[in-house]
Amino acid sequence: MRGAWESRDDCPVRMYRVSKSYIAGSAALRDVSLEIRKGEFVFLTGQSGAGKTTLLDLLFAAERPSEGQILMLGRNIARLRGSAIPALRRRVGVVFQDFKLLQGRSVEENVRITLDVVGTPRREARSRVFNMLRQVGLQHRRYHSPESLSGGEQQRVAIARALVGEPEILLADEPTGNLDPDLSIEIIELMLNAATRGTTVIVATHDHALLERYHRRTLRLEAGQLAEDEARASADL
Amino acid sequence: MKRVAVILAILGRSALRGLQSAAVTAAIATATIAIALFLVGAFGLVVVNMEGLLDRFGRDLQITAYLEEGYDANALRGLAGRVATVEGVYSVEVIDKDAALERFRAMSGGAALLGGLDGNPLPASLEITLDDAHRTNEGLEILTSALDGLPGIDEIAHGQDWIEGYARAVALVRVSGYALGTVLSLATLLIVANTIRLGVYSRKDELGILALVGASRTFVRTPFLIEGTLQGAIGGLLALLLLLGAFQVAVPQLQYGLTFFLGSTEPRFFEAGEIVRLLLGGAGLGLGGSAAALIGWRS
Ligand SMILES: Nc1ncnc2c1ncn2[C@@H]1O[C@H](COP(=O)(O)OP(=O)(O)O)[C@@H](O)[C@H]1O
Ligand SMILES: [Mg+2]
Repeated sequence: MRGAWESRDDCPVRMYRVSKSYIAGSAALRDVSLEIRKGEFVFLTGQSGAGKTTLLDLLFAAERPSEGQILMLGRNIARLRGSAIPALRRRVGVVFQDFKLLQGRSVEENVRITLDVVGTPRREARSRVFNMLRQVGLQHRRYHSPESLSGGEQQRVAIARALVGEPEILLADEPTGNLDPDLSIEIIELMLNAATRGTTVIVATHDHALLERYHRRTLRLEAGQLAEDEARASADL
Repeated sequence: MKRVAVILAILGRSALRGLQSAAVTAAIATATIAIALFLVGAFGLVVVNMEGLLDRFGRDLQITAYLEEGYDANALRGLAGRVATVEGVYSVEVIDKDAALERFRAMSGGAALLGGLDGNPLPASLEITLDDAHRTNEGLEILTSALDGLPGIDEIAHGQDWIEGYARAVALVRVSGYALGTVLSLATLLIVANTIRLGVYSRKDELGILALVGASRTFVRTPFLIEGTLQGAIGGLLALLLLLGAFQVAVPQLQYGLTFFLGSTEPRFFEAGEIVRLLLGGAGLGLGGSAAALIGWRS
């Protein structure tokens, strides 16, 4: 399964002249081209409505580009068959802006869903989920249901679910939007750690404090266009 | 293949959770399947029992040749000997006037009926059984015309007409059973399909999230197929228990009516193979219904 996807390409994310229009005549993304290297940590920024979520949606095939090509892990997903999408998504962890947690199921079950779909044995899944929840500081909440948690806690559950499968690519849409500064830093550190282990991370955020604090490559969208692609000075870049 | 087992366990749990979360609808669907299969099964029971009887009739088929008056014992034996040589005759038994009267007396009411008569009004007869090859309509006709030509034979009677009528009745019951079965199966399919569709609808959010974390089509669908199959299989099991109960209760109640229809044959319940078919039928209906519910649905 994995072999078919393997590639020598050191850029697991490539977009070439990608545009996306939801409504004819108005483009949410316009002629975007970019490459992101394996293990790179990238911020995606821009004002609300600039197209950040749209760009991420294209990368895990939630939407299809209107024009252009997208190579994810060496495979062109612009024209991906529907039946090939699950295999892509199992290698891409996504933190949704609105979390998309299952109400009425425990935190543990919510995180485990990522491991369930790949058939991880129950015992192994439990211990991986437990470790992941400990990393986001929620192990004591594992039997609670999401609706009994604060917004920040729910966000951390969403992050745990995205990371527990050790994805090759992590897409996070405003993952610190509901967190206080201290927690934001912890969560970003978690994702930086994942990047050090080889996960390619794209974090959409409009939080300038984060951009200032971590001098990482920053892609800035303006009205759907890539206005800036800045490799900022950084110790490990 | 450990991964397959792990995934099956996960999907099985998901199916159970689905059944649990919609317990009432699932129970209604299961009960409907049970009732449908019970009705079909009841028809089936009638048919298998009637067919059993038909078989036995065929085996017991015999011709009775009533004789003209005035034969003495010797002449009777002579005639019997000639009949025995006719092609297709397996055995001949002589029933003289006394034996006929004796038999008639043995039947309830016979004695009272004959009480006022002097003498014996019953004719002597030959009871002729056929060999296997002639136990058909044609064989019977050929034999009848051959016997007709023999002197001293007054009238020939056989149960063929009655058997043919009975066979037609069995066929009718069977066809009605098929028709009923078809209609009920379709209704059941629709009900299961509807139940599963409701389940899909009420779990839309969960299914959407599963798709986002990379669940395959099979992973998303299989729990619903398991749910439908379980509903069907449980429905089949309930139907079986209902049939067994009804059989136990009804058979003694209908003793006399059944004796009339079945003669001395004991009414029987389904055999193992027929039981398996009933259960598989239930499971199949459930599976079919849930598969139908998922047609055209994209995760
Ligand atoms: N599903 C959709 N249908 C129609 N328009 C959409 C849809 N999603 C986003 N848009 C539009 O596309 C533009 C970019 O939106 P979005 O990608 O959500 O921006 P951001 O995440 O940067 O706030 C906005 O103008 C938004 O209204
Ligand atoms: Mg957004």
